[in-house]
Amino acid sequence: MTETTVPTREGYRIVGRSPAHHDFADKVAGSLLYAADWQLPGMLHGKVVRAQVPSARITAMDVSAARALPGVVAVLTAADVPWNQIVEHASGGLGELAVAMPVLAADRVRYQGEPVALIAAVSPQAAEEAAELIDVDYQDLPGVFEVEAALEPGAPLVHDEGNLLVTWNIGGDAAEVDAAMAAADLVVEGAYRTQRVEHAYLEPEAGVGWVETGGIITLRVATQVIEHAGAIAAILGLPANQVRVISSYMGGGFGGKEDMTVEPYLALLVWHTRRPVRLVFERQESLLATTKRHPFVMRYRTGVRRDGTIVAQDVDIVGDAGAYPYLSARVLFAACVCASGPYRVPMVRHRARAVFTNTPPTSAFRGFGAMQVTFAYEQQLDRVAAALGLDPVAVRERNFLAKGDAIPTGERLDTAVAVGECVRRALDALGEPPRPSGPGRRVGRGFAANMQPYGRTMWFRDRAACWLSLEADGSLQLRSGVTDLGGGQAASLAQIVSEILGVPLGEIGVHIGDTALTPPAGGTFATRQLYMSGNAALAAARELRARLLPVAAALLGTAEDDLVFEDGMVRPPGGSRGLRLAELAAACHQRGVPTSHLGTWYAPTGAFDPASGQGSSFPDYTFGAHAADVEVDLETGQTRVLSYAAAHDVGRAINPLRVEGQIQGGAYQGIGYALGEEIVLADGNATSTLLANYLMPNAVDLPDVRVVVLESGEGKGPFGARGIGEPSIANAAATIANAVAAATGARVTQLPITPERLLGALDALAVETDTVEGGPHAS
Amino acid sequence: MTDGDKQRVSFTVNGEAREAWVFPHESLLDVLRDAGCHEVRYGCGEGVCGTCTVLLDGEPVSACLLFAVQAEGCSLLTVRGLAQGAAQPGEPHPLQASFLRNGAAQCGFCTPGMLLTAWALLRREPHPTRERIRRELCGNLCRCTGYSKILDAIEDCRQP
Amino acid sequence: MVAAPFRYQRAASFEEAVAALAEHGEDAKLLAGGQSLVPMLNLRVARPEWLIDLNPVGAGPVAEAGGVLRLPALTRHRVLESDGLVRRRCPLLAEAASLVGNVRTRARGTIGGSLAHADPAGELPLAALTLGAEVSVLGPAGARDLLVDELLISYLTTALAPDEVITEVRVPAPRPRQGWSFLELTRRTSDWMVAGAAALVELDERGTVAAASLAFGGVAERPVAAPAELLGGLYGEPPAEQRFARVADLAAATLRPEDDVHASGTYRRRVAGVLGRRALNQAAIRARASGETP
Repeated sequence: MTETTVPTREGYRIVGRSPAHHDFADKVAGSLLYAADWQLPGMLHGKVVRAQVPSARITAMDVSAARALPGVVAVLTAADVPWNQIVEHASGGLGELAVAMPVLAADRVRYQGEPVALIAAVSPQAAEEAAELIDVDYQDLPGVFEVEAALEPGAPLVHDEGNLLVTWNIGGDAAEVDAAMAAADLVVEGAYRTQRVEHAYLEPEAGVGWVETGGIITLRVATQVIEHAGAIAAILGLPANQVRVISSYMGGGFGGKEDMTVEPYLALLVWHTRRPVRLVFERQESLLATTKRHPFVMRYRTGVRRDGTIVAQDVDIVGDAGAYPYLSARVLFAACVCASGPYRVPMVRHRARAVFTNTPPTSAFRGFGAMQVTFAYEQQLDRVAAALGLDPVAVRERNFLAKGDAIPTGERLDTAVAVGECVRRALDALGEPPRPSGPGRRVGRGFAANMQPYGRTMWFRDRAACWLSLEADGSLQLRSGVTDLGGGQAASLAQIVSEILGVPLGEIGVHIGDTALTPPAGGTFATRQLYMSGNAALAAARELRARLLPVAAALLGTAEDDLVFEDGMVRPPGGSRGLRLAELAAACHQRGVPTSHLGTWYAPTGAFDPASGQGSSFPDYTFGAHAADVEVDLETGQTRVLSYAAAHDVGRAINPLRVEGQIQGGAYQGIGYALGEEIVLADGNATSTLLANYLMPNAVDLPDVRVVVLESGEGKGPFGARGIGEPSIANAAATIANAVAAATGARVTQLPITPERLLGALDALAVETDTVEGGPHAS
Repeated sequence: MTDGDKQRVSFTVNGEAREAWVFPHESLLDVLRDAGCHEVRYGCGEGVCGTCTVLLDGEPVSACLLFAVQAEGCSLLTVRGLAQGAAQPGEPHPLQASFLRNGAAQCGFCTPGMLLTAWALLRREPHPTRERIRRELCGNLCRCTGYSKILDAIEDCRQP
Repeated sequence: MVAAPFRYQRAASFEEAVAALAEHGEDAKLLAGGQSLVPMLNLRVARPEWLIDLNPVGAGPVAEAGGVLRLPALTRHRVLESDGLVRRRCPLLAEAASLVGNVRTRARGTIGGSLAHADPAGELPLAALTLGAEVSVLGPAGARDLLVDELLISYLTTALAPDEVITEVRVPAPRPRQGWSFLELTRRTSDWMVAGAAALVELDERGTVAAASLAFGGVAERPVAAPAELLGGLYGEPPAEQRFARVADLAAATLRPEDDVHASGTYRRRVAGVLGRRALNQAAIRARASGETP
């Protein structure tokens, strides 16, 4: 097979440009059909009935009145579920506690909002009324709502198996680390807490299901992972090929549609009624009960030399898994690997544990464990700089990882590490520091660097496929199991394929996300789709091109190597004559050369040894830095972000406008995380389930995010691209915390940085400066 | 409630006369969606997110906070009516074209509401400042873009 | 999400609305802008049997007569924030209205509805209280007038009988050398206030304080005015930020706000004092400016 020469950067036709794709035009026209927009004749309306208490035994459940209500077609409880288990192997068999997750709670409720029954009715009104008629008797059980309490001996057990889901250890042992700390010139200690937050995509979880010819249970849902079809089939007691999952273009996902949302409930109602059913979670239901980001409690000890060189770091992380495992084991693994950030640390000890509580389950959320730790490690380094009287940039520059360096797992980085340049460029982009807008106000500048993996953990042996067909008229069909969150996951595949085969974008039909009709792509999460499906699409396009080349060369009487695929033609270089792809397709048909091709790309794999904490983690990392100027009102504690800049090395920007959009959006979510967003629980009960009380930023609360896109060309995705979906969210909280500290001297170590919390820190500072003298071991 | 409790309501959607028999408690949002206007979207039911924005007699309103019976005799505009203001049939409205040019949508779920709110503003005030646009859009939440490109697109469409 | 069923009646006049209320008693709810009520219906927190829609009554123009600004009860926030007369003659009210919710809230919400809903964190109840506004109320026994201070009782509770409806709101026109301020602290722009303060300060010809009012929102079960005797201490003195600070802090110290999801009561009280001082100060500055440019 002829390996296509990778075009030079200047030579790209479509990679590096920002065309408006098929989905984009539909979205702006308002014509795209999301999951809730599907309607079928005779369609029923589903509803999930949820527990109102966080920890209880179900002593009785009476659904007879609901079943008897006119318009109600089905009321299902745990007894109606053929196999009442959701299966998840998040740690890949590396030491996770085995705990069953029921689809519907049978006798025990472990969090407020846990599903206990399902309803299908002819109207939403009837479904609502039936839900009100379901009578559940709860006998309250002692619950546990915070990780520290859950780890106490004798704490109430969320699961009989125990409250500790998983423990990860990476790095040296305690004695070695303590010795290194003792030898350090300065040890900075810090404790940090992050909060529970919601994905809050604008599109609530939704789907429509029906029975297809042959009895196939078919679901068209907003999901990041169509591969859940297997788990759904297991719940229904059906062979895997009897369930088909189609993913609609999503109104945002951010990890919240990575686990199943509506799927098992929708499938059960369709399977039971044999009728089409629509199920849409209410916003308040979504806020109450769907998965959240893990709250972390983090303790850091950082030992440094007088010149700022890090000699050792000791990190202990406890993540709140909520009531069920979901992906917590994997999230805490990412946290454990990334806990020291983009810095060389000769001696590390990282421990990360996931702990059950009687709160809504936590799972995947953009940033996936590598985000929370940034809030800690970047504040640690600002504290080091302050304690040593050094410039915070200089301290980082002394410690940045470089290509070839080892990270705590012992792996060596084999691609560019442009983190230092990211810091410089982000700070430069801010321009002149602003002045306070009035008395009683202070301004300050902060920044934070980060590293975020892209691609699945290497021990999951990842792969993705893409199927291309050149049609008789010269147009192209692209089929991929990729799901599209709104980040242009499908569109970028078309752009990659267009680059290689020269088919104009408008002539590429893009078909995605269907377990029956598209080849598996493995789900859109872990910032893996540009890396995985991008490489699969690139491989498929190159392999198809290689198959077409000899035919084209023979027809044109030219050497294969000289031919150029562009504008729907195959041409010799500089020549005006050429072959239309339709002609080439016809010639292939004549000669029995197939014009369609299934390409599968296998990611490099590796192993991890949980005992030694050494081995393979992720395929590669994306590095970046954010910087901000903030103003603090000293009397009210309010923080206003005045300007904000973000710089990331994306390897290669396939679609620069989309890349910028991803970075701006990540920064925005990160700023919301830093300053406002929190799901507040009181003893496991939601304090509010209103979207009005969930403080995601609106257009007034944010400055424009200036973006610096760096292109080292050294990523492991197609054309040297790196993933950028997740990396841009992680820096904001530490950036703002550092800017607030620069402005006021007060450091807030608990998120979100509310006006009230900051005022408390300012008060404490005033007291401290009055009474306490700083020592060499500042904390 | 039986079907006898339904009331007849008539209004226009994007210039087209519509009539429906509805229960009083049915929201304008649900009735529009049942009538095929899926571009008007459910996002919260609290009037907070802005995905169900429609223009009611020219003013942006939350369709989730109006009962369909209240729209009697009203003229409604959804984003699919916006393109009626395009230069050529089948072309996007200039504001939509600007959204495309500026990369102002990602998942697209908030986009119709954004477009309608922005369009109503531009009609009332042809030269709003960026800060003015921000204030006007503060009730249309977006979770993907960070708003910058949306603001760019609207600024790009201000009358010179 | 769908509201529980109710019966619906359009009222073409306030009289019709009162008659309907009299007939259905406490099973009926009035629907004005619906921006607070309808979310409660959607969430099934409120389940009236009857909904009496006041919107067909409509609102005539805002007018000024006899030193009073007359606002029909169904005047929408959009009008309050943009109407030339309101902006000129009652800028405090226009400012308060511009801070209510988002554009869609303001397109539908009405001043009568806001006052009758009596949300303690609402902008318009705070503004109306500070301005010394009065409402006209119609009931089966006829009309009566109430000061907003008398109207507002507690959280979502007013002095209105179940069969009464607000028909008009009247606001005293500004006096010469009077300045105003309306400030609120929100966790996010356009949200409910964590705390708010509104003030009016009137200076005499010598430039000393002749009259002042100050009220707080979001810090009690209804908006509360600072005690008159505290404000009285400012009279006859030149406006000075320290004096304003003392008055505002003392006034705030009498508050006992509760904790909620956005802030603790302690924080609210502290910020109320800060906002109170800023509001008095800004009002005094505006009063001075209005004296300079008559």
